[in-house]
Amino acid sequence: MGVPPLTDRRLAFVLGKGGAGKTAVAAALALGLADAGHRTLLVEVGAETRTEALFGTAPSLADPVEVRPGLSALTVDAELATQEYLGIQLKVRPLVEMMARSRAFHQVTQAAPGLAELVTLGKIWDLATTVRDGAPVWDRLVVDSPATGHGIALLEAAGNARALAGSGPIKDQAEAIEKVVRHPAATGIAVVATPEDLAVTEAVEAVQALRARSMPVTCAVANAVRRSLFTDADVQALGAVRADPATGDAERAAAQAAIAVAEGARHDDREVEVLARDSALPVAVLPLVPDLAPGSGGLEVLSAALMRDPAVRGAA
Amino acid sequence: MSDTFDLVQLLEGRRVVVVAGAGGVGKTTVSAALALGLAARGARVAVVTIDPARRLASALGIHHLGDTPHRVDPSRVEAAGMRMQGTLDALQLDPQATFDRLVAREAPDEAARKKILRNRVYRHLSTGVAGAQEFMAVERLHELVDSGDYDVVVLDTPPARNALDFLDAPERMTRFVQGRGLRLLLGPRAGAGRTGWRALQAGGHMVMSVVERLTGAQLLTDISEFLQSFEGMYEGFSDRATAVRLLLSSDSSRFVVVTGPRPEPAGEAILLWRRLRDDRYPLGAVVVNRVHAQPAGGDDQPAGLADLLRAAGAADPEGLAARAADALTAARARSAADRHEIRSIAGALDAPPITTVPALEDDPVEVAGLARVTRELEGG
Repeated sequence: MGVPPLTDRRLAFVLGKGGAGKTAVAAALALGLADAGHRTLLVEVGAETRTEALFGTAPSLADPVEVRPGLSALTVDAELATQEYLGIQLKVRPLVEMMARSRAFHQVTQAAPGLAELVTLGKIWDLATTVRDGAPVWDRLVVDSPATGHGIALLEAAGNARALAGSGPIKDQAEAIEKVVRHPAATGIAVVATPEDLAVTEAVEAVQALRARSMPVTCAVANAVRRSLFTDADVQALGAVRADPATGDAERAAAQAAIAVAEGARHDDREVEVLARDSALPVAVLPLVPDLAPGSGGLEVLSAALMRDPAVRGAA
Repeated sequence: MSDTFDLVQLLEGRRVVVVAGAGGVGKTTVSAALALGLAARGARVAVVTIDPARRLASALGIHHLGDTPHRVDPSRVEAAGMRMQGTLDALQLDPQATFDRLVAREAPDEAARKKILRNRVYRHLSTGVAGAQEFMAVERLHELVDSGDYDVVVLDTPPARNALDFLDAPERMTRFVQGRGLRLLLGPRAGAGRTGWRALQAGGHMVMSVVERLTGAQLLTDISEFLQSFEGMYEGFSDRATAVRLLLSSDSSRFVVVTGPRPEPAGEAILLWRRLRDDRYPLGAVVVNRVHAQPAGGDDQPAGLADLLRAAGAADPEGLAARAADALTAARARSAADRHEIRSIAGALDAPPITTVPALEDDPVEVAGLARVTRELEGG
């Protein structure tokens, strides 16, 4: 094996189209890493949070909140991260406050190409590289990235900033961040897709876009894949019962429901194959888990499936 | 529960149909199916999609959906068993191309136009500024309606986390381009010279010098150049924003809110509908997409299934019957959950017109599949 598996990398970005289950996969990965003994931080990007729906504890904007033993969660908001960054750079409290209050400053940050992404990525980088008493504060960071296009923009932010910022500390920092984000021993990217045509196509395009930018894409995750316990012979017998006009309503409905399960599973298998073929990545396959609410055990099922999948854990 | 009514008929005679809702609920398919239905009835229709919907493109027989309209071959529609009395054009939003045209139209002269198009802040605008894509979608809508080439334009709105963003986009974008506060602070650089603001400017210069220290001077130069280039164009921008808002608020428009039968998108659909109602936008209907059909047989258990399977030659008829019974229970539960969700949408919104589209294994790949969705939207 030339490259380390996702579970060995300090910084994991989970990317995917909206509705693909990116947040659940990120949470499941973070949970699995924490269970394996790593001090893990789950990072959400943006103001909206779904971590609360999965762990029952709301992540904080300011400080990591422990949601499970060994697992903490934090929401990174571009605006707050910008203020924090200013605080570090300027060191003069009133000046920082004046900047934060200034409407013009907000407009500059909005107009500056990719600045919001850059400070967000910078904050993540800072969390990933912070050392206290000679040891890293976090062994693992799992980033629930924004939906595909914005997720790629986030990963690209450092490279773009290096190119755009003529000089000054931002350029230097962007270079340092870019080095970490592109490094396949430090950073891994997992692209999540549900087994649907459009989602798979988008995921493959995201993988290609990331490769074109020399980003360390590590694996794909097929989420919510339906399984069937019905064999081809079963389906044949069920089909005969369904076709028989003498079959009662409930019996026909049961035969129909079973056939639909088998067909759904076959459909999903095909999509997983397409994902593996077109992305040329190892694909982790996660079952469809209807309930992920805290206490339902759903997230734990997802986490266990993810952590034992060779696509994530590496070949034994 | 949902009524059987004809949504296509409800939309006939409108000039704009806006299809909105949370991401991943099948907005694009519903937009295309509604457009197809309106075209079949004789209207000249354009459907604007936001997502690169390759499957939709192939369903419509178009190889590459782009910024310019593509005509759907009527023989394909007829082959799907639908009479095509009008025309259907499809196009995909290209935010940058749309904005470039807007600049070309509003710029005072060729030099100004070129300067804007070259500016780095401008090049970044269509992807980097919040609401820019929504703004372009609205702008494209305006262009198409203005062109006079279409009786009705069906707009598939951008997949925003917050579907409401779309409505505020024109004004937000206009404010951004005006950049009042920023212009003031960039002072002479941006050509703003109101002396009464000197005190504010003093503080502002400090802000700017900090920014400059962090980013280098180039960025500020780009920003002020950008704002300068837009000087004299705001009026055109804000006129445009006002015109679009008027059009969308008028009786010529209808909003269709799409959702899936799950709590998350349904919650967003409810918020969106209320917001539209409160702001007096013309409401069309709620479409609940991908609804699981109710299996036959009521609550009856398939007691005779094992015998039937034995007769059909199954190896383990008892075991297979038990697993099939479980599958039936699950299918019934899913269908019941969907119906429950539809009822709660209806309850939360004082019984709006609701129509449902059944769950398909995949989004339509051919006109025939799209036509099936159209027929469902016409009341089955």
